[in-house]
Amino acid sequence: MAEPAIHTEGLVKTYGRNRGLTGLDLRVEPGEVYGFLGPNGAGKSTTIRLLLDLIRPTAGRVRVLGADPRRDGVALRRRIGYLAGDFVVDGRQTARELLTYLGNLRGGVPRARVDALAARLDLDLGRPIRGLSKGNRQKVGVVQAFMHSPELLILDEPTSGLDPFLQHEFLAMVREARAEGRTVFMSSHVMSEVQQTADRVGIVRDGRMVTVARVEELRERAVRKVEVTFAEPVDAAEFAALPGVSEVTVAGTVLRCRLDGRADALVKAAAAHTAVGLLCEEPDLEELFFGYYSREEATRAVA
Amino acid sequence: MLLRDPFTKALHDARRSLAGWAVAIVAVGSMYAAFWPTMRTPEMADALAAYPEGLLEAFNYSDLTSAAGYLGSAVYGLLVPLLVAVFAIAAGTRAVAGDEEAGTLDLVLAHPVGRARLALLRFAAVAVGVVLVTALLGLALVALRGPAQLGDIDVGGFAAMTLHLALFGLAFAAGAYAAGAATGRRAVALGTGAGVAVLGFLANSVFPQVEGLAWAQRLSPFHWYLGGSPLVDGVQPVGVLLLLGSTVLLVAAGTAAFARRDVAV
Ligand SMILES: Nc1ncnc2c1ncn2[C@@H]1O[C@H](COP(=O)(O)OP(=O)(O)OP(=O)(O)O)[C@@H](O)[C@H]1O
Ligand SMILES: [Mg+2]
Repeated sequence: MAEPAIHTEGLVKTYGRNRGLTGLDLRVEPGEVYGFLGPNGAGKSTTIRLLLDLIRPTAGRVRVLGADPRRDGVALRRRIGYLAGDFVVDGRQTARELLTYLGNLRGGVPRARVDALAARLDLDLGRPIRGLSKGNRQKVGVVQAFMHSPELLILDEPTSGLDPFLQHEFLAMVREARAEGRTVFMSSHVMSEVQQTADRVGIVRDGRMVTVARVEELRERAVRKVEVTFAEPVDAAEFAALPGVSEVTVAGTVLRCRLDGRADALVKAAAAHTAVGLLCEEPDLEELFFGYYSREEATRAVA
Repeated sequence: MLLRDPFTKALHDARRSLAGWAVAIVAVGSMYAAFWPTMRTPEMADALAAYPEGLLEAFNYSDLTSAAGYLGSAVYGLLVPLLVAVFAIAAGTRAVAGDEEAGTLDLVLAHPVGRARLALLRFAAVAVGVVLVTALLGLALVALRGPAQLGDIDVGGFAAMTLHLALFGLAFAAGAYAAGAATGRRAVALGTGAGVAVLGFLANSVFPQVEGLAWAQRLSPFHWYLGGSPLVDGVQPVGVLLLLGSTVLLVAAGTAAFARRDVAV
Protein backbone atom coordinates (compact mmCIF):
# COMPACT_ATOMS: atom_id res chain seq x y z
CA MET A 1 0.00 0.00 0.00
CA ALA A 2 1.19 3.50 -0.80
CA GLU A 3 2.55 5.68 1.95
CA PRO A 4 -0.24 7.62 3.67
CA ALA A 5 -0.63 11.30 2.80
CA ILE A 6 -1.00 12.12 6.48
CA HIS A 7 0.00 9.83 9.30
CA THR A 8 0.05 10.64 12.99
CA GLU A 9 0.61 8.29 15.89
CA GLY A 10 -0.09 9.11 19.50
CA LEU A 11 -0.02 12.80 18.74
CA VAL A 12 -0.17 14.86 21.92
CA LYS A 13 -0.26 18.63 22.22
CA THR A 14 -0.67 20.45 25.49
CA TYR A 15 -0.89 24.20 25.85
CA GLY A 16 0.40 24.80 29.34
CA ARG A 17 -2.39 23.25 31.41
CA ASN A 18 -4.87 23.13 28.52
CA ARG A 19 -5.03 19.95 26.53
CA GLY A 20 -5.18 20.31 22.78
CA LEU A 21 -4.64 16.72 21.63
CA THR A 22 -4.40 13.67 23.87
CA GLY A 23 -3.03 11.00 21.53
CA LEU A 24 -4.42 11.33 18.05
CA ASP A 25 -3.97 8.53 15.53
CA LEU A 26 -4.83 9.65 12.05
CA ARG A 27 -4.21 8.06 8.69
CA VAL A 28 -5.23 9.72 5.45
CA GLU A 29 -4.60 7.74 2.27
CA PRO A 30 -3.31 9.43 -0.86
CA GLY A 31 -6.06 10.45 -3.26
CA GLU A 32 -8.91 10.39 -0.79
CA VAL A 33 -11.10 13.14 0.59
CA TYR A 34 -11.07 12.90 4.35
CA GLY A 35 -13.59 14.75 6.49
CA PHE A 36 -12.36 15.66 9.94
CA LEU A 37 -15.34 16.26 12.18
CA GLY A 38 -15.69 17.29 15.77
CA PRO A 39 -17.35 19.73 18.14
CA ASN A 40 -15.81 23.06 19.14
CA GLY A 41 -12.53 22.64 20.95
CA ALA A 42 -12.11 19.01 19.87
CA GLY A 43 -8.64 19.63 18.47
CA LYS A 44 -9.23 19.96 14.72
CA SER A 45 -7.32 23.21 14.25
CA THR A 46 -4.61 22.01 16.61
CA THR A 47 -4.08 18.92 14.46
CA ILE A 48 -4.00 20.96 11.26
CA ARG A 49 -1.51 23.49 12.63
CA LEU A 50 0.74 20.63 13.74
CA LEU A 51 0.71 19.23 10.19
CA LEU A 52 1.98 22.56 8.88
CA ASP A 53 4.66 22.97 11.56
CA LEU A 54 3.04 26.14 12.85
CA ILE A 55 3.06 24.52 16.28
CA ARG A 56 5.15 21.62 17.57
CA PRO A 57 3.88 18.39 19.13
CA THR A 58 4.40 17.67 22.81
CA ALA A 59 4.70 13.96 21.97
CA GLY A 60 3.95 11.56 19.15
CA ARG A 61 4.85 11.20 15.51
CA VAL A 62 3.68 13.19 12.47
CA ARG A 63 4.44 12.49 8.84
CA VAL A 64 2.93 14.38 5.94
CA LEU A 65 3.50 13.20 2.35
CA GLY A 66 6.22 10.99 3.74
CA ALA A 67 8.12 13.93 5.23
CA ASP A 68 8.67 15.32 8.70
CA PRO A 69 6.96 18.74 8.91
CA ARG A 70 9.62 19.98 11.31
CA ARG A 71 12.70 18.89 9.38
CA ASP A 72 11.53 19.19 5.77
CA GLY A 73 8.97 21.92 6.35
CA VAL A 74 9.90 24.19 3.47
CA ALA A 75 9.97 21.50 0.80
CA LEU A 76 6.82 19.95 2.24
CA ARG A 77 4.77 23.14 2.34
CA ARG A 78 5.49 23.63 -1.35
CA ARG A 79 3.27 20.60 -1.95
CA ILE A 80 0.46 21.67 0.38
CA GLY A 81 -2.38 24.15 0.05
CA TYR A 82 -3.67 25.43 3.39
CA LEU A 83 -6.76 27.34 4.38
CA ALA A 84 -6.82 28.46 8.01
CA GLY A 85 -9.91 28.30 10.19
CA ASP A 86 -9.91 32.07 10.50
CA PHE A 87 -8.34 33.41 7.35
CA VAL A 88 -6.99 36.88 8.20
CA VAL A 89 -4.75 39.04 6.06
CA ASP A 90 -3.62 42.64 6.04
CA GLY A 91 -6.64 44.45 4.61
CA ARG A 92 -4.77 47.32 2.99
CA GLN A 93 -3.74 45.27 -0.03
CA THR A 94 -5.90 44.08 -2.88
CA ALA A 95 -6.64 40.40 -3.31
CA ARG A 96 -4.57 40.49 -6.50
CA GLU A 97 -1.52 41.86 -4.65
CA LEU A 98 -1.83 39.28 -1.89
CA LEU A 99 -2.25 36.38 -4.31
CA THR A 100 0.69 37.58 -6.41
CA TYR A 101 2.89 37.69 -3.33
CA LEU A 102 1.77 34.29 -2.06
CA GLY A 103 2.20 32.86 -5.54
CA ASN A 104 5.73 34.23 -5.66
CA LEU A 105 6.53 32.55 -2.35
CA ARG A 106 5.67 29.32 -4.16
CA GLY A 107 7.84 30.19 -7.11
CA GLY A 108 5.11 31.81 -9.20
CA VAL A 109 1.55 30.83 -10.10
CA PRO A 110 0.18 31.54 -13.59
CA ARG A 111 -2.04 34.61 -13.59
CA ALA A 112 -4.58 32.81 -15.76
CA ARG A 113 -5.02 30.14 -13.09
CA VAL A 114 -5.74 32.75 -10.40
CA ASP A 115 -8.12 34.59 -12.71
CA ALA A 116 -9.97 31.38 -13.54
CA LEU A 117 -10.44 30.49 -9.86
CA ALA A 118 -11.55 34.03 -9.02
CA ALA A 119 -14.03 34.04 -11.87
CA ARG A 120 -15.38 30.69 -10.79
CA LEU A 121 -15.98 31.95 -7.25
CA ASP A 122 -17.15 35.33 -8.49
CA LEU A 123 -14.40 37.20 -6.64
CA ASP A 124 -13.26 40.70 -7.57
CA LEU A 125 -9.47 40.69 -7.24
CA GLY A 126 -9.01 44.43 -7.70
CA ARG A 127 -10.58 45.63 -4.47
CA PRO A 128 -8.75 46.15 -1.19
CA ILE A 129 -9.37 43.16 1.06
CA ARG A 130 -10.51 45.48 3.84
CA GLY A 131 -13.61 46.31 1.83
CA LEU A 132 -14.62 42.69 1.17
CA SER A 133 -17.41 40.89 3.00
CA LYS A 134 -16.57 37.88 5.18
CA GLY A 135 -17.57 35.45 2.47
CA ASN A 136 -15.55 37.25 -0.17
CA ARG A 137 -12.53 37.21 2.10
CA GLN A 138 -13.00 33.49 2.56
CA LYS A 139 -12.97 33.15 -1.23
CA VAL A 140 -9.52 34.76 -1.30
CA GLY A 141 -8.46 32.07 1.15
CA VAL A 142 -9.92 29.34 -1.04
CA VAL A 143 -8.14 30.70 -4.13
CA GLN A 144 -4.75 30.83 -2.38
CA ALA A 145 -5.14 27.25 -1.18
CA PHE A 146 -6.06 25.87 -4.62
CA MET A 147 -4.12 28.10 -7.00
CA HIS A 148 -0.90 26.10 -7.18
CA SER A 149 -2.73 22.77 -7.60
CA PRO A 150 -1.09 21.17 -4.55
CA GLU A 151 -0.83 17.43 -3.96
CA LEU A 152 -2.43 17.83 -0.55
CA LEU A 153 -5.10 20.31 0.48
CA ILE A 154 -5.49 20.96 4.20
CA LEU A 155 -8.62 22.97 4.79
CA ASP A 156 -9.87 24.11 8.20
CA GLU A 157 -13.61 24.75 8.03
CA PRO A 158 -13.33 25.86 4.42
CA THR A 159 -16.98 26.71 3.79
CA SER A 160 -17.50 28.97 6.79
CA GLY A 161 -18.97 32.23 5.54
CA LEU A 162 -19.77 30.95 2.04
CA ASP A 163 -23.35 31.07 0.82
CA PRO A 164 -25.03 27.81 -0.30
CA PHE A 165 -24.26 28.40 -3.96
CA LEU A 166 -20.58 28.93 -3.23
CA GLN A 167 -20.48 26.00 -0.82
CA HIS A 168 -21.74 23.92 -3.69
CA GLU A 169 -19.10 25.35 -6.02
CA PHE A 170 -16.45 24.73 -3.41
CA LEU A 171 -17.48 21.12 -2.97
CA ALA A 172 -17.31 20.72 -6.74
CA MET A 173 -13.73 22.01 -6.61
CA VAL A 174 -12.91 19.45 -3.93
CA ARG A 175 -14.36 16.65 -6.09
CA GLU A 176 -12.34 17.86 -9.06
CA ALA A 177 -9.20 17.90 -6.95
CA ARG A 178 -9.86 14.29 -6.03
CA ALA A 179 -10.49 13.38 -9.66
CA GLU A 180 -7.04 14.79 -10.43
CA GLY A 181 -5.55 12.48 -7.80
CA ARG A 182 -5.04 15.06 -5.05
CA THR A 183 -5.65 14.37 -1.39
CA VAL A 184 -8.03 16.58 0.57
CA PHE A 185 -8.13 16.78 4.35
CA MET A 186 -10.90 19.08 5.52
CA SER A 187 -12.31 19.84 8.93
CA SER A 188 -15.92 20.72 9.53
CA HIS A 189 -18.65 20.90 12.11
CA VAL A 190 -21.34 19.74 9.74
CA MET A 191 -21.65 16.19 8.53
CA SER A 192 -23.91 17.20 5.66
CA GLU A 193 -21.19 19.03 3.75
CA VAL A 194 -18.63 16.33 4.44
CA GLN A 195 -20.92 13.51 3.41
CA GLN A 196 -21.33 15.04 -0.02
CA THR A 197 -17.64 14.83 -0.86
CA ALA A 198 -15.69 12.77 1.61
CA ASP A 199 -14.68 9.15 1.16
CA ARG A 200 -14.05 8.76 4.85
CA VAL A 201 -14.76 10.73 7.97
CA GLY A 202 -12.94 10.77 11.26
CA ILE A 203 -14.71 12.06 14.33
CA VAL A 204 -12.48 13.68 16.90
CA ARG A 205 -13.47 14.56 20.39
CA ASP A 206 -11.51 15.72 23.42
CA GLY A 207 -8.27 15.52 21.51
CA ARG A 208 -8.53 11.98 20.18
CA MET A 209 -10.17 10.04 17.41
CA VAL A 210 -13.52 8.59 18.41
CA THR A 211 -14.31 6.79 15.19
CA VAL A 212 -13.29 6.55 11.56
CA ALA A 213 -15.70 5.30 8.94
CA ARG A 214 -16.32 5.21 5.21
CA VAL A 215 -19.16 7.53 4.29
CA GLU A 216 -20.84 4.75 2.34
CA GLU A 217 -20.87 2.49 5.35
CA LEU A 218 -22.28 5.28 7.43
CA ARG A 219 -25.01 5.71 4.88
CA GLU A 220 -25.82 2.04 5.09
CA ARG A 221 -25.88 2.14 8.84
CA ALA A 222 -27.73 5.39 9.06
CA VAL A 223 -31.26 5.80 10.25
CA ARG A 224 -33.74 6.98 7.65
CA LYS A 225 -37.44 7.64 7.68
CA VAL A 226 -39.46 5.51 5.29
CA GLU A 227 -43.05 5.96 4.16
CA VAL A 228 -44.86 3.28 2.16
CA THR A 229 -48.31 3.75 0.73
CA PHE A 230 -50.25 0.54 0.05
CA ALA A 231 -53.35 -0.18 -1.99
CA GLU A 232 -55.11 -1.55 1.11
CA PRO A 233 -54.66 -1.00 4.86
CA VAL A 234 -51.88 -3.09 6.46
CA ASP A 235 -51.18 -4.37 9.94
CA ALA A 236 -48.48 -2.52 11.88
CA ALA A 237 -47.49 -5.62 13.84
CA GLU A 238 -46.40 -7.35 10.67
CA PHE A 239 -43.69 -4.74 10.16
CA ALA A 240 -42.74 -3.87 13.73
CA ALA A 241 -40.83 -7.10 14.21
CA LEU A 242 -38.62 -6.69 11.15
CA PRO A 243 -34.88 -6.20 11.75
CA GLY A 244 -33.86 -2.54 11.71
CA VAL A 245 -37.41 -1.28 11.66
CA SER A 246 -38.79 0.76 14.53
CA GLU A 247 -41.41 3.36 15.39
CA VAL A 248 -43.93 1.82 13.06
CA THR A 249 -47.20 3.70 12.67
CA VAL A 250 -49.99 2.94 10.28
CA ALA A 251 -52.53 5.54 9.25
CA GLY A 252 -54.97 3.94 6.90
CA THR A 253 -52.97 2.69 3.96
CA VAL A 254 -49.83 4.64 4.86
CA LEU A 255 -47.05 3.02 6.84
CA ARG A 256 -44.36 5.16 8.44
CA CYS A 257 -41.30 3.83 10.16
CA ARG A 258 -37.63 4.37 10.95
CA LEU A 259 -35.17 2.18 9.18
CA ASP A 260 -31.82 1.50 10.75
CA GLY A 261 -29.37 -0.13 8.35
CA ARG A 262 -30.29 -2.28 5.34
CA ALA A 263 -33.66 -1.95 3.65
CA ASP A 264 -33.84 -5.59 2.54
CA ALA A 265 -36.25 -7.03 5.14
CA LEU A 266 -38.62 -4.09 4.91
CA VAL A 267 -38.73 -4.16 1.14
CA LYS A 268 -39.43 -7.89 1.08
CA ALA A 269 -42.20 -7.57 3.64
CA ALA A 270 -43.76 -4.70 1.72
CA ALA A 271 -43.61 -6.73 -1.49
CA ALA A 272 -46.18 -9.13 -0.03
CA HIS A 273 -48.73 -6.33 -0.45
CA THR A 274 -49.46 -3.95 -3.30
CA ALA A 275 -47.27 -0.93 -2.74
CA VAL A 276 -48.38 2.20 -4.61
CA GLY A 277 -45.86 4.68 -3.24
CA LEU A 278 -42.48 4.62 -1.57
CA LEU A 279 -40.74 7.53 0.05
CA CYS A 280 -37.31 7.19 1.61
CA GLU A 281 -35.45 10.13 3.07
CA GLU A 282 -31.77 10.63 2.40
CA PRO A 283 -30.11 9.36 5.58
CA ASP A 284 -29.35 12.06 8.05
CA LEU A 285 -25.75 11.43 8.98
CA GLU A 286 -25.86 14.41 11.25
CA GLU A 287 -27.98 12.34 13.56
CA LEU A 288 -25.36 9.65 13.43
CA PHE A 289 -22.72 12.17 14.30
CA PHE A 290 -24.66 13.15 17.42
CA GLY A 291 -25.10 9.45 18.05
CA TYR A 292 -21.35 9.03 18.30
CA TYR A 293 -21.14 11.82 20.79
CA SER A 294 -23.80 10.43 23.05
CA ARG A 295 -22.46 6.89 22.77
CA GLU A 296 -19.13 8.31 23.80
CA GLU A 297 -20.75 9.96 26.81
CA ALA A 298 -22.42 6.67 27.70
CA THR A 299 -19.20 4.64 27.64
CA ARG A 300 -17.61 7.28 29.80
CA ALA A 301 -20.40 7.15 32.32
CA VAL A 302 -19.93 3.38 32.57
CA ALA A 303 -16.17 3.67 32.98
CA MET B 1 8.69 43.85 -8.39
CA LEU B 2 7.98 44.61 -4.74
CA LEU B 3 5.86 41.53 -4.17
CA ARG B 4 8.70 39.17 -4.98
CA ASP B 5 9.80 37.91 -1.56
CA PRO B 6 9.32 38.63 2.16
CA PHE B 7 12.08 41.24 2.13
CA THR B 8 10.69 43.39 -0.66
CA LYS B 9 7.15 42.77 0.60
CA ALA B 10 8.09 44.10 4.04
CA LEU B 11 9.56 47.23 2.43
CA HIS B 12 6.46 47.57 0.29
CA ASP B 13 4.19 47.31 3.33
CA ALA B 14 6.30 49.80 5.29
CA ARG B 15 6.49 52.37 2.51
CA ARG B 16 4.02 54.83 4.00
CA SER B 17 5.29 54.66 7.55
CA LEU B 18 8.86 54.88 6.25
CA ALA B 19 8.07 58.03 4.28
CA GLY B 20 6.34 59.55 7.30
CA TRP B 21 9.23 58.88 9.65
CA ALA B 22 11.78 60.11 7.12
CA VAL B 23 9.92 63.39 6.71
CA ALA B 24 9.44 63.83 10.46
CA ILE B 25 13.02 63.08 11.46
CA VAL B 26 14.58 65.09 8.64
CA ALA B 27 12.25 68.02 9.39
CA VAL B 28 12.99 68.04 13.12
CA GLY B 29 16.73 67.68 12.56
CA SER B 30 16.88 70.39 9.89
CA MET B 31 14.72 72.76 11.89
CA TYR B 32 16.97 72.53 14.93
CA ALA B 33 20.07 72.86 12.77
CA ALA B 34 18.57 75.97 11.16
CA PHE B 35 18.28 77.59 14.62
CA TRP B 36 22.02 77.53 15.03
CA PRO B 37 22.71 81.02 13.63
CA THR B 38 20.28 82.51 16.18
CA MET B 39 21.95 80.55 18.99
CA ARG B 40 25.33 82.15 18.34
CA THR B 41 24.31 85.52 19.77
CA PRO B 42 25.81 86.54 23.12
CA GLU B 43 22.30 87.07 24.57
CA MET B 44 21.47 83.42 24.00
CA ALA B 45 24.73 82.31 25.58
CA ASP B 46 23.92 84.37 28.67
CA ALA B 47 20.40 83.00 28.84
CA LEU B 48 21.67 79.43 28.73
CA ALA B 49 24.32 80.16 31.32
CA ALA B 50 21.51 80.97 33.74
CA TYR B 51 20.20 77.36 33.63
CA PRO B 52 21.48 74.95 36.29
CA GLU B 53 24.23 72.81 34.83
CA GLY B 54 22.63 69.54 35.85
CA LEU B 55 19.52 70.29 33.83
CA LEU B 56 21.45 71.07 30.71
CA GLU B 57 23.49 67.93 31.12
CA ALA B 58 20.35 65.90 31.58
CA PHE B 59 19.26 67.07 28.15
CA ASN B 60 22.69 66.38 26.71
CA TYR B 61 23.17 70.13 26.23
CA SER B 62 26.80 70.10 27.23
CA ASP B 63 28.41 72.61 24.95
CA LEU B 64 26.34 75.13 23.07
CA THR B 65 29.10 77.47 22.05
CA SER B 66 30.31 75.69 18.90
CA ALA B 67 28.35 74.40 15.91
CA ALA B 68 29.45 70.82 16.68
CA GLY B 69 28.55 71.23 20.34
CA TYR B 70 25.11 72.59 19.49
CA LEU B 71 24.35 70.00 16.83
CA GLY B 72 25.68 67.19 19.02
CA SER B 73 23.40 68.27 21.85
CA ALA B 74 20.27 69.77 20.40
CA VAL B 75 19.94 67.67 17.25
CA TYR B 76 21.85 64.42 17.67
CA GLY B 77 21.80 64.44 21.47
CA LEU B 78 18.12 64.42 22.30
CA LEU B 79 15.21 64.67 19.91
CA VAL B 80 16.64 62.84 16.92
CA PRO B 81 17.86 59.76 18.81
CA LEU B 82 14.56 59.56 20.67
CA LEU B 83 12.60 59.79 17.42
CA VAL B 84 14.88 57.24 15.78
CA ALA B 85 14.48 54.92 18.79
CA VAL B 86 10.69 55.15 18.63
CA PHE B 87 10.69 54.56 14.88
CA ALA B 88 13.07 51.61 15.21
CA ILE B 89 11.17 50.02 18.11
CA ALA B 90 7.89 50.29 16.20
CA ALA B 91 9.44 48.75 13.08
CA GLY B 92 11.20 45.99 15.03
CA THR B 93 7.95 45.14 16.79
CA ARG B 94 6.02 44.95 13.55
CA ALA B 95 8.52 42.54 11.98
CA VAL B 96 7.24 39.50 13.87
CA ALA B 97 5.12 40.22 16.94
CA GLY B 98 2.84 42.79 15.32
CA ASP B 99 2.11 40.51 12.41
CA GLU B 100 1.61 37.53 14.69
CA GLU B 101 -0.86 39.28 17.00
CA ALA B 102 -2.78 40.51 13.98
CA GLY B 103 -3.12 36.83 13.03
CA THR B 104 -1.53 37.30 9.64
CA LEU B 105 1.76 35.47 10.23
CA ASP B 106 0.14 32.04 10.04
CA LEU B 107 -0.59 32.32 6.34
CA VAL B 108 2.94 33.21 5.28
CA LEU B 109 4.46 30.52 7.47
CA ALA B 110 2.18 27.94 5.86
CA HIS B 111 4.04 28.69 2.62
CA PRO B 112 7.42 27.31 1.64
CA VAL B 113 9.45 29.81 3.64
CA GLY B 114 11.69 28.87 6.56
CA ARG B 115 10.86 30.48 9.88
CA ALA B 116 14.33 31.89 10.48
CA ARG B 117 14.63 33.04 6.89
CA LEU B 118 11.33 34.90 7.02
CA ALA B 119 12.20 36.61 10.30
CA LEU B 120 15.68 37.60 9.12
CA LEU B 121 14.37 38.98 5.82
CA ARG B 122 11.83 41.03 7.76
CA PHE B 123 14.58 42.37 10.02
CA ALA B 124 16.71 43.16 7.00
CA ALA B 125 13.86 45.30 5.67
CA VAL B 126 13.65 47.10 9.01
CA ALA B 127 17.40 47.68 8.90
CA VAL B 128 17.18 49.15 5.41
CA GLY B 129 14.49 51.53 6.67
CA VAL B 130 16.60 52.67 9.65
CA VAL B 131 19.67 53.21 7.48
CA LEU B 132 17.61 55.06 4.89
CA VAL B 133 16.02 57.46 7.38
CA THR B 134 19.26 58.24 9.21
CA ALA B 135 21.18 58.67 5.94
CA LEU B 136 18.54 61.12 4.68
CA LEU B 137 18.94 63.14 7.86
CA GLY B 138 22.71 63.14 7.38
CA LEU B 139 22.35 64.32 3.78
CA ALA B 140 19.92 67.05 4.79
CA LEU B 141 22.33 68.37 7.41
CA VAL B 142 25.26 68.27 5.00
CA ALA B 143 23.12 70.28 2.57
CA LEU B 144 22.42 72.78 5.39
CA ARG B 145 26.09 73.24 6.23
CA GLY B 146 26.31 76.48 4.23
CA PRO B 147 22.96 78.13 4.96
CA ALA B 148 22.98 77.22 8.66
CA GLN B 149 26.64 78.18 9.17
CA LEU B 150 27.71 74.69 10.20
CA GLY B 151 31.00 75.02 8.32
CA ASP B 152 33.23 73.93 11.22
CA ILE B 153 31.87 70.41 11.00
CA ASP B 154 33.32 68.54 8.05
CA VAL B 155 31.42 66.02 5.97
CA GLY B 156 33.39 63.22 7.63
CA GLY B 157 31.96 64.28 10.99
CA PHE B 158 28.42 64.05 9.62
CA ALA B 159 29.19 60.67 8.10
CA ALA B 160 30.54 59.36 11.43
CA MET B 161 27.53 60.74 13.33
CA THR B 162 25.17 59.21 10.79
CA LEU B 163 26.86 55.82 11.14
CA HIS B 164 26.52 56.03 14.92
CA LEU B 165 22.88 57.06 14.67
CA ALA B 166 22.06 54.26 12.22
CA LEU B 167 23.69 51.67 14.49
CA PHE B 168 21.88 53.13 17.48
CA GLY B 169 18.57 52.73 15.63
CA LEU B 170 19.47 49.19 14.56
CA ALA B 171 20.21 48.19 18.16
CA PHE B 172 16.76 49.36 19.26
CA ALA B 173 15.08 47.73 16.30
CA ALA B 174 16.92 44.51 17.16
CA GLY B 175 15.83 44.70 20.79
CA ALA B 176 12.14 45.07 19.92
CA TYR B 177 12.46 42.46 17.16
CA ALA B 178 14.08 39.95 19.52
CA ALA B 179 11.56 40.43 22.32
CA GLY B 180 8.71 40.16 19.81
CA ALA B 181 10.17 37.15 17.99
CA ALA B 182 10.79 35.29 21.23
CA THR B 183 7.36 35.93 22.75
CA GLY B 184 5.03 36.82 19.88
CA ARG B 185 3.62 39.65 21.96
CA ARG B 186 3.51 43.23 20.73
CA ALA B 187 3.29 44.69 24.21
CA VAL B 188 6.42 42.83 25.30
CA ALA B 189 8.35 44.04 22.26
CA LEU B 190 7.24 47.65 22.67
CA GLY B 191 7.72 47.58 26.43
CA THR B 192 11.22 46.13 26.19
CA GLY B 193 12.24 48.71 23.61
CA ALA B 194 10.73 51.62 25.53
CA GLY B 195 12.18 50.41 28.84
CA VAL B 196 15.68 50.11 27.43
CA ALA B 197 15.35 53.55 25.80
CA VAL B 198 14.24 55.27 29.01
CA LEU B 199 16.78 53.49 31.24
CA GLY B 200 19.53 54.02 28.69
CA PHE B 201 18.71 57.68 28.43
CA LEU B 202 18.73 58.13 32.20
CA ALA B 203 21.91 56.11 32.55
CA ASN B 204 23.67 58.35 30.07
CA SER B 205 22.44 61.76 31.20
CA VAL B 206 21.12 61.64 34.76
CA PHE B 207 22.84 58.78 36.60
CA PRO B 208 26.36 60.20 36.03
CA GLN B 209 25.31 63.13 38.22
CA VAL B 210 24.40 60.75 41.02
CA GLU B 211 27.24 59.55 43.16
CA GLY B 212 27.87 55.82 42.80
CA LEU B 213 25.83 55.44 39.59
CA ALA B 214 28.35 56.84 37.13
CA TRP B 215 29.32 53.32 36.00
CA ALA B 216 25.83 52.86 34.56
CA GLN B 217 26.66 55.27 31.77
CA ARG B 218 28.98 52.75 30.17
CA LEU B 219 26.08 50.31 29.77
CA SER B 220 23.87 52.81 27.99
CA PRO B 221 23.27 52.59 24.24
CA PHE B 222 23.01 56.38 24.32
CA HIS B 223 26.59 56.50 25.57
CA TRP B 224 27.79 54.05 22.94
CA TYR B 225 26.12 56.28 20.38
CA LEU B 226 27.17 59.73 21.65
CA GLY B 227 30.31 59.03 23.67
CA GLY B 228 33.53 60.43 22.23
CA SER B 229 31.72 63.04 20.08
CA PRO B 230 31.66 61.33 16.68
CA LEU B 231 30.59 64.62 15.07
CA VAL B 232 33.99 66.12 15.93
CA ASP B 233 36.30 63.16 16.48
CA GLY B 234 34.89 60.75 13.90
CA VAL B 235 33.90 57.11 14.27
CA GLN B 236 34.36 55.72 17.79
CA PRO B 237 35.29 52.06 17.37
CA VAL B 238 34.23 50.96 20.85
CA GLY B 239 30.78 52.51 20.57
CA VAL B 240 30.32 51.17 17.05
CA LEU B 241 31.34 47.67 18.09
CA LEU B 242 29.07 47.67 21.13
CA LEU B 243 26.07 48.83 19.10
CA LEU B 244 26.79 46.43 16.25
CA GLY B 245 27.57 43.54 18.61
CA SER B 246 24.35 43.93 20.60
CA THR B 247 22.36 44.15 17.36
CA VAL B 248 23.85 40.92 16.04
CA LEU B 249 23.40 39.10 19.34
CA LEU B 250 19.79 40.23 19.75
CA VAL B 251 18.83 39.33 16.19
CA ALA B 252 20.47 35.92 16.49
CA ALA B 253 18.85 35.14 19.84
CA GLY B 254 15.41 36.39 18.77
CA THR B 255 15.51 34.43 15.52
CA ALA B 256 16.61 31.23 17.25
CA ALA B 257 13.81 31.51 19.80
CA PHE B 258 11.27 32.20 17.05
CA ALA B 259 12.31 29.16 15.04
CA ARG B 260 11.76 26.95 18.07
CA ARG B 261 8.43 28.07 19.46
CA ASP B 262 4.75 27.72 18.52
CA VAL B 263 3.21 30.39 16.35
CA ALA B 264 0.05 31.85 17.84
CA VAL B 265 -3.08 32.10 15.72
N1 LIG C 1 -3.06 28.73 21.85
C1 LIG C 1 -3.76 27.99 22.71
N2 LIG C 1 -3.58 28.14 24.04
C2 LIG C 1 -4.27 27.40 24.93
N3 LIG C 1 -5.17 26.47 24.60
C3 LIG C 1 -5.42 26.27 23.29
C4 LIG C 1 -4.73 27.03 22.28
N4 LIG C 1 -5.17 26.62 21.08
C5 LIG C 1 -6.10 25.66 21.32
N5 LIG C 1 -6.25 25.45 22.64
C6 LIG C 1 -7.14 24.45 23.28
O1 LIG C 1 -7.03 23.23 22.60
C7 LIG C 1 -8.28 22.63 22.39
C8 LIG C 1 -8.47 22.32 20.92
O2 LIG C 1 -8.62 23.52 20.20
P1 LIG C 1 -8.79 23.57 18.63
O3 LIG C 1 -8.70 24.99 18.23
O4 LIG C 1 -7.84 22.62 18.01
O5 LIG C 1 -10.28 23.05 18.46
P2 LIG C 1 -11.15 22.93 17.14
O6 LIG C 1 -11.55 21.50 17.03
O7 LIG C 1 -10.47 23.52 15.98
O8 LIG C 1 -12.42 23.78 17.55
P3 LIG C 1 -13.36 24.71 16.63
O9 LIG C 1 -14.35 23.79 16.05
O10 LIG C 1 -14.00 25.61 17.65
O11 LIG C 1 -12.52 25.42 15.66
C9 LIG C 1 -9.31 23.59 22.94
O12 LIG C 1 -9.76 23.07 24.16
C10 LIG C 1 -8.59 24.87 23.15
O13 LIG C 1 -9.02 25.51 24.32
MG1 LIG D 1 -10.84 25.20 14.74
